[in-house]
Amino acid sequence: MRDFEYEAPTTLANAIAVLAKNNGSARPLAGGTDLIDHVRCGRLEPDVVVDVKKIDELNVLELNDSGLRLGAATPCYRIYGCPEISQQYAALTDSCRIIGGIQIQSRASVGGNICNSGPAADSTPSVIVLGGICVIEGPGGRREVPAEEFCTGPGKNVLKPGELLVEIKFPARPANSGSHYRRFIPRNEMDIAVVGVGASVVLDDSKENIVSARVALGAVAPTPLYVPAVGDAIAGQPANEDTLRKAGAVAKELVTPITDMRGTAEYRVHLTGVLTERVLQAAISRARGEAICTKIGH
Amino acid sequence: MAEREVTWGPRGSHTLIGKEVSRIDGVEKASGAAKYTNDMNQPGTLFARLLTCTHAKAKVTRLNVDKAKAIAGVHTVYLFKDIGENAECNYDGELVAAVAAETADIAEDGVRAIEVAYEVLPHVVDEQDLEAARAAKRLKYDDDGKEVPLVDRTVGDPDKAIADADVVHTGYYGIHTISHMCLEPHGAHCTWDESGDGPKLTARHSTQAVSTTGPQFASQFGLDASDVRVICNYIGGGFGSKFAADIWGWAAAQMSKDTGRPVRLMLDRATELKTPGTRPSGFANVTVAATKDGKITAWKSHHWGTNGPQGGTIDGNQMPYVFDPPNKHVVSQGIATDCGPNRAWRAPNHPQLCAITDTALTDLAAKLNMSPVDLYKANLDQLDDTAKENSKLYAAELDRAAELMEWEKKWHAHGKGGNGPVKRGLGVALHRWGGQSVKCSSEVRIFADGGAQASIGSQDLGTGTRTVIAMVLAETCGLPLEKVKARLGSNEYVYGNPSGGSITVGSVTGATRRAALEATGILFDKVAEKYKVDAKTLSLGDEAVWSDKKKVCSWKDACRLIGPEPITATGPSPVADGLTSKLVGGVQMADVSVDTETGVIRINRMVAVQDCGLVINEKTAKSQVYGGLIMGIAYATNEERIMDNNSGRYINADMETYKLPRIGDIGELIVEFYQPDSEYNRGVVGLGEPPVISTGAAIANAVANATGVRVPVLPMTPKRVLDALAQA
Repeated sequence: MRDFEYEAPTTLANAIAVLAKNNGSARPLAGGTDLIDHVRCGRLEPDVVVDVKKIDELNVLELNDSGLRLGAATPCYRIYGCPEISQQYAALTDSCRIIGGIQIQSRASVGGNICNSGPAADSTPSVIVLGGICVIEGPGGRREVPAEEFCTGPGKNVLKPGELLVEIKFPARPANSGSHYRRFIPRNEMDIAVVGVGASVVLDDSKENIVSARVALGAVAPTPLYVPAVGDAIAGQPANEDTLRKAGAVAKELVTPITDMRGTAEYRVHLTGVLTERVLQAAISRARGEAICTKIGH
Repeated sequence: MAEREVTWGPRGSHTLIGKEVSRIDGVEKASGAAKYTNDMNQPGTLFARLLTCTHAKAKVTRLNVDKAKAIAGVHTVYLFKDIGENAECNYDGELVAAVAAETADIAEDGVRAIEVAYEVLPHVVDEQDLEAARAAKRLKYDDDGKEVPLVDRTVGDPDKAIADADVVHTGYYGIHTISHMCLEPHGAHCTWDESGDGPKLTARHSTQAVSTTGPQFASQFGLDASDVRVICNYIGGGFGSKFAADIWGWAAAQMSKDTGRPVRLMLDRATELKTPGTRPSGFANVTVAATKDGKITAWKSHHWGTNGPQGGTIDGNQMPYVFDPPNKHVVSQGIATDCGPNRAWRAPNHPQLCAITDTALTDLAAKLNMSPVDLYKANLDQLDDTAKENSKLYAAELDRAAELMEWEKKWHAHGKGGNGPVKRGLGVALHRWGGQSVKCSSEVRIFADGGAQASIGSQDLGTGTRTVIAMVLAETCGLPLEKVKARLGSNEYVYGNPSGGSITVGSVTGATRRAALEATGILFDKVAEKYKVDAKTLSLGDEAVWSDKKKVCSWKDACRLIGPEPITATGPSPVADGLTSKLVGGVQMADVSVDTETGVIRINRMVAVQDCGLVINEKTAKSQVYGGLIMGIAYATNEERIMDNNSGRYINADMETYKLPRIGDIGELIVEFYQPDSEYNRGVVGLGEPPVISTGAAIANAVANATGVRVPVLPMTPKRVLDALAQA
């Protein structure tokens, strides 16, 4: 492991200044659950590690009438520890509950997950389907990027040198809505997704018809993939098995997975269909106020 | 001397033996106080890092370590390979060089600074494709170049028996190579010190064999065996792969000798997976025939696989497993692959033999519309010579396992596992093992202050060996557990057995019981003389000496008679005195759910019913079975070495992609020892290996019962499950 300097600024301005000064050779550290591993293995060799956990703005967790503010360094356990967030933004807390084990969840953040920009990131599809907006601060000021536009390739994103993800803003949840995230892993827990699916649906007042839906897929493309065509295909349709099958079929057409030791492309396409159906079904159940079984595969 | 009868005493008479006793070193281990080899950090220790070959087959054509040696803090570079005679590397991960430096980071810099180049040679790493191996000439050949099998064995007339049979089943089965994946990698911390009159070399070695690795270090360096001290107080897994001093142990010793500093060399995780051992693979075409009542009349199998460069596979002489039909023909062929070599893996051959035999038999049962339990029972009169001894036990164990599994209630015909996408099913398999005691001594000392200790040059693999030794000593002396000491983990104690083959518990407890009985017999003589009682009437219990239920004196008072020279007695092993025995059997059943849309298997419940004679410590014995089941769940569902045919490399040699089970993969485990009085009276038999044998076959059979489709090759990854369903 290469030696590096450690900085722990307590203000956003100082953090931006340190990041900007090092012009791309500094890495922000939130929970560190990915970064430390990357540095130890030599995949990343930063000159400076900037601990951002001591900055107030990055630890915000605020739910109000206009929505949810999620500080980029807020660890998973705080997110799923809030019953109202678990109820309203269920896909997000589904993700937070399956990222690693309890130790990891005590450190790892959703902001870190999205900045790490892995195609198989478990929280990114949830952030996308819940309409998350990434709030970015940098030497040039503040800008906002929709979550589905944040990642640009494996390990790559829209952040420019010196920029820092401060928080993710989510709009308030509409009435009759429900969401879910589920991944396929070969084991029953704590594994990297072979395919991940996040979905959010809004039903009509009868709770029998889909008004709108957002679906995002993980691990089947170079980035977490928002697939509006799936939502378009089922908007206005009855919330039944035929519709779900249609959604699965559309999703399978949209993915371009790779073959690796975790699964062949064909296998990932198949799983995309299965999981899209199952995740949408669970999101619909939640929109109807029903409990769902979140055990993987069952 | 008062001779004490060499028995374990009547069943039910013990305060410790047979009870559930927590490990005496459990707190040290759980709290991190226990020091493993990788924790050894003597002042001045240098840290070593390794350069390994990145090709399946290659010749080193350039190896320049000058730049590595020039780095400040690098003290020495050790070469495992060199250009010239020793240039050939035979698998990805083979050791090339080691760098020892002030810190691990500097050693890594040193490794990066080594200039190495290879001439890459053609490779074969596919263990499953027999035709490809044949084309590449990687099988066994006679002097004329004709392909010959490793085993080609015929008994009776299998072809006629198959022709005459009521039912014939033909199938393909297999099981991939796995690595040992010791949580604590292989390695040693070596200190070379020729000052003073102590041992010249101290090897704090992660080993299953403190008493027998010393001479291996000694002969490498021209030392006397007495010049080498080997210490291993705790070990984080060995599973059969840590019996040798090993070239990396020698390297650590050599680098210590060269630098005058202690050197710690532990394999890194990737090298741990690639280099110090694997369990061989086997893939088989099987034909098995039976009468309509389920009596197996013939077995034919042709299996192949690899154990690495040596060109072996699983042992054809033991196929089929446990059952021994009157007509059989077994052929086996080994593929010499450019993969890491094999080493004994917990119950060598048996899990693979079982995964091929018991799966074929379950498919035969399905064809007969029989429950596999009934098929097994119908064939308990035709078992192989080793299993024969257990034929009555198997019947009882099958019944008991069925009760614990609720087999009758849950059983359904093949493929009737439910209407939804998730199917549920049951499977069963059975196994045998030896577990006989071997050469081992235990030295028991009783001191005038009442202290008692047993010391043995054996080791505690994490199985609870230290605890059972203490239990036997305490029981024999009538003392509470915490008042005795069990010392092991050093070759400076009397010779103890290497821990492999499930031989340890019988060897160390038998030897300790014998020594403790002799030592307390000497104590009884002293008590008899002082208190004017007949030594033959004396017994020990509750920290006192008793004569016909009357207290003679306290243990402390008795020990005061000893004087400055402690009573010392050395107990031998093995002795045919009834304290220990051999041969065990066991039955395992699995209840699984299979998601037929994703291919994921969930273990609902595993049942293991195991005999192992007299159980010394019910708690640590159960832990052995839990561990066996978990390892079995691993190799049944996701654990495998993945070789890339193109590059010839081992591509999942890390803890992320080499998939071991998480807690959520394990399900409910029910463990019960089959221990009627007849078992107690057999004495102690080893248990380490048997519980891992039939787990894989039982799970595979449950998947077949659930779905009606055989997933032929273990591990049954989700992909293989879906492929099998698609092809059905």
